[in-house]
Amino acid sequence: MAEIGHGGKEIKERILQPAEAKEKIKGLQEIPIRKQLANEVIDLAYGFFSPLEGFMTKADVDAVVKNMTLADGTIWPIPILFDLSSDEVSKYGVEPGKSVVLTYQGNPMAIFEVEEVFEYDKKAMAKSVFGTDEEKHPGCKRTYGYKDKFVGGKITLVKEPTINEPFGPYFLPPLKLRQVIKEKGWSRTVAHQTRNVPHTGHEWLMKGAFFQAYADLPIEKPEVGVVVNAIIGEKRVKDYIDEAIILCQDELEKAGYFGPHNHITTLTFWDMRYAGPKEAIFHAILRTNLGITHHMYGRDHAGVGDYYGAYEAHHLLDNVRDKLDITPVYSMNWLYCPVCAEITSEGLCNHQDKQQKFSGTLIRSIVTDGVKPPRLIIRPEVFDQIMACSEKYGQGSPFVTEEYLEKRTPVFDIEPL
Amino acid sequence: MAGKNPIYIWINEERYDQLEKAGLAHHTEERLAGLKVMVVYADDEQAKRFVNEFGAKHDTSTTGSIELLPAHIKNKIYDKVVEKQSLDVVGDVLAEV
Repeated sequence: MAEIGHGGKEIKERILQPAEAKEKIKGLQEIPIRKQLANEVIDLAYGFFSPLEGFMTKADVDAVVKNMTLADGTIWPIPILFDLSSDEVSKYGVEPGKSVVLTYQGNPMAIFEVEEVFEYDKKAMAKSVFGTDEEKHPGCKRTYGYKDKFVGGKITLVKEPTINEPFGPYFLPPLKLRQVIKEKGWSRTVAHQTRNVPHTGHEWLMKGAFFQAYADLPIEKPEVGVVVNAIIGEKRVKDYIDEAIILCQDELEKAGYFGPHNHITTLTFWDMRYAGPKEAIFHAILRTNLGITHHMYGRDHAGVGDYYGAYEAHHLLDNVRDKLDITPVYSMNWLYCPVCAEITSEGLCNHQDKQQKFSGTLIRSIVTDGVKPPRLIIRPEVFDQIMACSEKYGQGSPFVTEEYLEKRTPVFDIEPL
Repeated sequence: MAGKNPIYIWINEERYDQLEKAGLAHHTEERLAGLKVMVVYADDEQAKRFVNEFGAKHDTSTTGSIELLPAHIKNKIYDKVVEKQSLDVVGDVLAEV
């Protein structure tokens, strides 16, 4: 049976078998690509970005910028771009109608069927996607950092990535994850977008969303699963290391705070754009393609600084509900109340002057000290996992350092064909 | 002291027992779900050194606290508090690291 993704289109993987791949790349010009583009090549080829089959042409970019749609009218909020300098376009002979081979780590990764080489006003693009053209916004900064030409065309993977330890079990592309969801018998699933190791505030965000998604379903057998979908991409110094994020999310299940009957941890390769409301729409599309039926959204989803209002993403989602195939689940903050003596919701507890709110800064401070906090704040098994990851993967730190960036094992490799 | 920039030293049960024995437990306060914290202060110059030399972050927008100090520095601050039986230890720590 066809698997239907965003925009009502069938999700199809664009991956060649090795023998065919070897034949097809013969004589083609090679172009080395950076990590961001390698991530997006994987996303395109496995259908994470369905109905996109490749990097955007000018008509699609223009529609995204002006209407938040693709050229065919399908809703789409963030341009998916392949950039080259004018010199590289000449040097590699990139022109419409020609195919090239994209290489990563020196090895062939994908065939790129060039349809168009074009320029675009980066400032207009930034203003539309991020609601600002300020250089200090990380999404604008990334946009202004693109080279001067963009290349549109279809992508076909010639070599599947080797996902390195410990990430392998968590790489579940759309068709695979949809299969797993069927096997688990879940009729509803709720996505949890994360780039964090979980404290109990996060745990209860997921548990709250689980109940919201469960709603009127029968309870005789497990019908709802929380799908943690960690965004694995560009790392900045002082972020949590990727290994700690993925293994600590999974630890919540392994230690029994969830179970395989209602929880799974997965990952998607993507460099966050911090586009706030527009990125919320993008996440809805991504998770639709993963086969997920509901999506959690908290305050200031995918925002940065004070560029977006706390509920701006919710408002935009409400405006385009009829164009999305996923149901948003809005989450209030969870906090600790010493009177209730439990983790509770700001929508429930009325001891406002006693409430102790979770703050990322505070939690990071506790983690830095290596002092095991009460289990009501961070589960002991999760804390032990943070410390273990710190030793095993982080050169003694659970947070990204220059040394980690230099020495870490890549999340994936492209091996020789 | 020109500028009071807090550094949070988190106190678990083991540390609390030590502080109690040293007569310093009254310097702690409950912060989150029973987890205690001891606050020592750095002046502006000391805060700058922590940021520039030890990769700390000065959270100037909210709490004014100095965050993400390496664990060995924070452990040294804690040990010094116990040794000196005083919270005025940041200068000594910076002189030794």
